[in-house]
Order: sequence, then structure tokens, then C-alpha cells
Amino acid sequence: MPRRTRRHEHRGQRRKDVLHERDGHRANDFRCVGCRLDVSVHAPGTAHRNHCPQCLASLHVDRRLPGDRASPCRGRMEALAVFTRPDGEWMIVHQCLSCGELSSNRIAGDDNALALMRLALRPLQDTGRASRTMINL
Amino acid sequence: MPDTSNTLKIHTFTCAWCGLTATRFAADGAMRNHCPSCLASRHVTDHVEGGPSDCEGRMSPIAIAVLRTGDWMLIHRCVRCDELTSNPVCADDNQLILMRMAVRPLAQPPFPLEALGSL
Repeated sequence: MPRRTRRHEHRGQRRKDVLHERDGHRANDFRCVGCRLDVSVHAPGTAHRNHCPQCLASLHVDRRLPGDRASPCRGRMEALAVFTRPDGEWMIVHQCLSCGELSSNRIAGDDNALALMRLALRPLQDTGRASRTMINL
Repeated sequence: MPDTSNTLKIHTFTCAWCGLTATRFAADGAMRNHCPSCLASRHVTDHVEGGPSDCEGRMSPIAIAVLRTGDWMLIHRCVRCDELTSNPVCADDNQLILMRMAVRPLAQPPFPLEALGSL
């Protein structure tokens, strides 16, 4: 039977230390928008991880400079292409699905090799297009 | 007001990298924004804010992206301000540079490709 009389006045919630609020234990960690994987920013091989190592998806938070967090878009960014820097490093080009903006980022050491390889082979996937290009050479 | 219907309407531009004079419209009527010979472009549109850009830097081709339809897009990066743009590939673009960009990542893989065979 539910209690009818109230013994105490309603007390406000006890204050808690919300660790993930500001500069807490996971201030910079993020959860992937594509596959919901919890990703730590500490990545082997890069200091600026911005994409999920599993599905390579990213989030549109930066406007012009990397890390400025000034974009109001917050759209999901899908990996569009792979290119090589002159020193041989692979870079991923992301495109925002909601506003079409492009950005590039270095790959990390634990990025999914299969996903990277599929991305790199995508121009050669259409054999008609590729062979026409080779014949035209 | 002078009658302009008789004037030459073939717009041309000069490539910022190789100096080739190219027509603004390709043979199939598509708008062209990069040089068909060296694929370099010029940074005239601001894609972050929109509207014209005051950078005017040279944009070099860096990557090839593929749309769902199978069409190739050319991704340019401005050498002055590092902004990225994407444009459709024209029919008369230099196929050697296109193919070189497409297979360039495969020549320098960041991981041993033998590992993919055991998957």
C-alpha cells in the first residue's frame, strides 16, 4: 500500500561529481555516430584522431581550423576518398552528409585496414571506367 | 546599349599552373573549372562561408572520389589556405594524371597487404 503521509519535505538531489562534464575522465573521448563504438582520442600514430577506427565516420564539429569546434552543423561525415601525402602518409577525405563540407585527416595506426583498402580501391571498382581510362592513355 | 548577340561567347581561362588556355565549357557543355592538361584549379569560391573567395590561390588535385552513381569526382586542395573542393571529372581530362592519383595510395600502403589475405 502506498504511503500517504509524507514524513519529510522533498529534498533536492544530492550533488554529484559528473566526471564526463568538463575536463573529466573522458573529456575528449567520443562515441562514433556510425557504429556507436566508444573511441579514445589516444591513438597510435596520430595526435589528432577525429574519426572512428572501425567505420571511419566522423562528426562535423570544426569549421576552418582543426580543433576549433566552431561549426554549428554537427552532421555526420563519411569517408569519401583516400590520398597520399608526398611523404607517403595516407590521408582520409571526409564529406559532411548534411552540408557537403570536405575535410582531411591522417589515418591512425589502429584504423580498420579493410575499410581503408575498400576506400582506396573504390576508383578501380568500376572496371569499365578504369579500363576505358587505361585504353585512353 | 550595344548589341552583344554577335560577340564571341567562348569563355576561356588560363591555367594557373601550366599556362594552358582552356575553354570554360567542355565539348559536352559541362562547366569546367580545372585545366584539362594538369588538372589544376583556382580558389575562387569560398565553400565554408559561401560566396566568392578572396584567396585566389592555386588548387592542386589530390584525390579521386567515387559517387554512388560511379562517376569520378576530383578533389582539389588550395595550396595557400588548404581548403578542399570536389568537382566532377570532365571527359577530356588528362587520363594519365587521373589514373596516377587513383593508384597512388596502393603504391604506398601503410600496412603490409599480405595481412589482408588471411582475413
